[in-house]
Amino acid sequence: MTTSTFSRKPFRLPFGIAFLIWLGLLAVLLAIGFYSAIRVFIDGLVITNLSDSVPWGLWITIDLSSIALGAGAFTLSAIVYIFGIKRLQPIIRLAVLVGFTGYSSAMVTLLMDIGRPDRFWHPWVFWNVHSVLWEVTMAITIYLMVLIIEFAPVIVEAKIFDRWPKIRVLGHFPHKFTPFLAVLGMLISLVHQSSLGATYGVIKSRPIWFKPSMPIMFVLSAIAAGPAVTVAVAYVVEWILGKRTVPHDVLRIITRFSGVGLLAYGYIKFWDLAAVTYYGSTSGVNSAFSLLQQQTPYSFSFWVGEVILGILVPAILFLVPRFNKNPAAAVVGAFSAMLGIIIHRWNVTVGGLFVPLSYSPGTTYELPIGSYFPALIEWGIGILVIGYALTVLTLAVRFLPLFEKQEH
Amino acid sequence: MTTQKKKTKKKVVVVLTRGDVLKLAAAAVGSIVAAPLLTTGPLSPFGQLKQGQLEDEESVGHGERTGQYHWGMVISLDLCIGCEYCTRACTATNDVLADEPWNIVVPEKTSGRQTFFFSRPCLHCQNAPCVEVCPVNATYHREDGLVVMDYERCIGCRYCQVACPYDARQFNWQARSEDDNSYVPAWGSPEVERRPRGVVEKCTFCIHRIDAGLEKGLMPGVDREATPACVNICPVGARTFGSLKDPDSTISQLIASNPTLRLRDELGTETSVYYIPPKEGI
Repeated sequence: MTTSTFSRKPFRLPFGIAFLIWLGLLAVLLAIGFYSAIRVFIDGLVITNLSDSVPWGLWITIDLSSIALGAGAFTLSAIVYIFGIKRLQPIIRLAVLVGFTGYSSAMVTLLMDIGRPDRFWHPWVFWNVHSVLWEVTMAITIYLMVLIIEFAPVIVEAKIFDRWPKIRVLGHFPHKFTPFLAVLGMLISLVHQSSLGATYGVIKSRPIWFKPSMPIMFVLSAIAAGPAVTVAVAYVVEWILGKRTVPHDVLRIITRFSGVGLLAYGYIKFWDLAAVTYYGSTSGVNSAFSLLQQQTPYSFSFWVGEVILGILVPAILFLVPRFNKNPAAAVVGAFSAMLGIIIHRWNVTVGGLFVPLSYSPGTTYELPIGSYFPALIEWGIGILVIGYALTVLTLAVRFLPLFEKQEH
Repeated sequence: MTTQKKKTKKKVVVVLTRGDVLKLAAAAVGSIVAAPLLTTGPLSPFGQLKQGQLEDEESVGHGERTGQYHWGMVISLDLCIGCEYCTRACTATNDVLADEPWNIVVPEKTSGRQTFFFSRPCLHCQNAPCVEVCPVNATYHREDGLVVMDYERCIGCRYCQVACPYDARQFNWQARSEDDNSYVPAWGSPEVERRPRGVVEKCTFCIHRIDAGLEKGLMPGVDREATPACVNICPVGARTFGSLKDPDSTISQLIASNPTLRLRDELGTETSVYYIPPKEGI
């Protein structure tokens, strides 16, 4: 694929006072994050608020969300290289970068979350092909490698590789396989993005998880929100640098695509709500929902967080022509959709764990209100992920040629 | 965008002749006929195999219980007095953290307001959700139907805890201190190694006793040395252990002669633990 349109030079970030403050902020975030990580490694997961009845919490929510928000990479690669809409090419490098950031953030969080991080490699060696989580782990790691290979040509353009031209040649090698990588990436992504939903969908002992719509909702919401996040990053970088990054007509097309995607997701969500709570309702599901209603702000977070903030507001901002032309509206919409995704993943993860299906001795039949709220140390890991993601983006913008050459 | 080349549009014309249509139709009809013949019909190389597999499925559930024994337990809710001796003996024998016992006892009320006690070890499901979801096969079925763990392999993702319908799994949230087991030595002494921090653990029906006992020629459920600690300690004999495969074992006799129930049977988990309900019903 052509790279001639991409400038070989990265954008210059002025080393002014603002940039120094920004670097300081990143350093603070990372310091808090590393401190939390070290504490978790030393003391173990006992310092979290997770328990045997709520074994998954904030960190799993972060995993799911960052993978979903990184979905722009495979969606946009597929649009450009498989469906041949070459007009959108200028955003590909940024999309792959955002995807890489999301997926590697998920890996960082997962490493914190498992009890034995020293055994992180076990899924590659000890296969259980019946396990959704095994499949997801394999797919995510393979896809992360695909992203790195896709991004290699950009990395080797960094100034530092002037000294090692051979590495630069090697880094450009994947160009020949770009369409192949796009197909591979799309296949793997479609499978694992939906399998993340299936991780919950296959658990027959949990009434609000065990349904076939789970994988569809996960993959659709990711396809819709992922590209919007990429667009938001493009606009924000543009504001900071004061220079055009990706042509605005390209960004507008992508926001419209996201808007349509969100409406499709909303439609499936509506159908799911009707199917689960109305015409397909069972007593287990009903009591689960009433339990959730009593003990958590489930209703509020569903309607306001998932539906209004996550679907309606961004869909309006992305699709109504007046807003679609406005970069600020696109950024607000993308953040709103992002928040919606995070709230959805939280509601699925933690909400589902609160409610057992039917009687069994000793199952946590009625948990006290607020029985899981993340501990400070868990938020600390959240800060680590945010700090990590922002650092990766900053370094990439500073040192790598992400955007097209500007006409002078 | 000035650098982009102008695209030249190509018109694609598809020409179909009558011959093509006929060929396609013939191929379609051919495959429709061939498919059932080759897969399920007399020409199918899988025909015999499939039938054999189906019979196998029906007899052994998930392809487990292929061994000589299928260890199971009957717990009489009618006899249980809620003394929690089983919990204590289990905690001492398996060196479990007292706050997170493998074996629990929960007081419940019947519809007639009578108190009874529900105790619960791991139920050793034949269709075990935990075995299915484990990403590294750290939890697996043995040939004798037991669901056990390889603590050297577990990565501590806790998906099995999330999947278990019975909350029968415990995670080691922290490293254990030297002597935190107050049930030792009053209720027994540890017979197995303590599990490390960061892995999930669960009831094993005391496999170390079963395996060692069988080697010595003892019969688990009959000889105390080869029988789970919780069964041995029960002062009222509410727990019975043995092979469900042997129609003459005490446990099989009990199941044959009493009404029994299995927890959350509607999930199709096929637990190896059967409960005899209280006389007045639940």
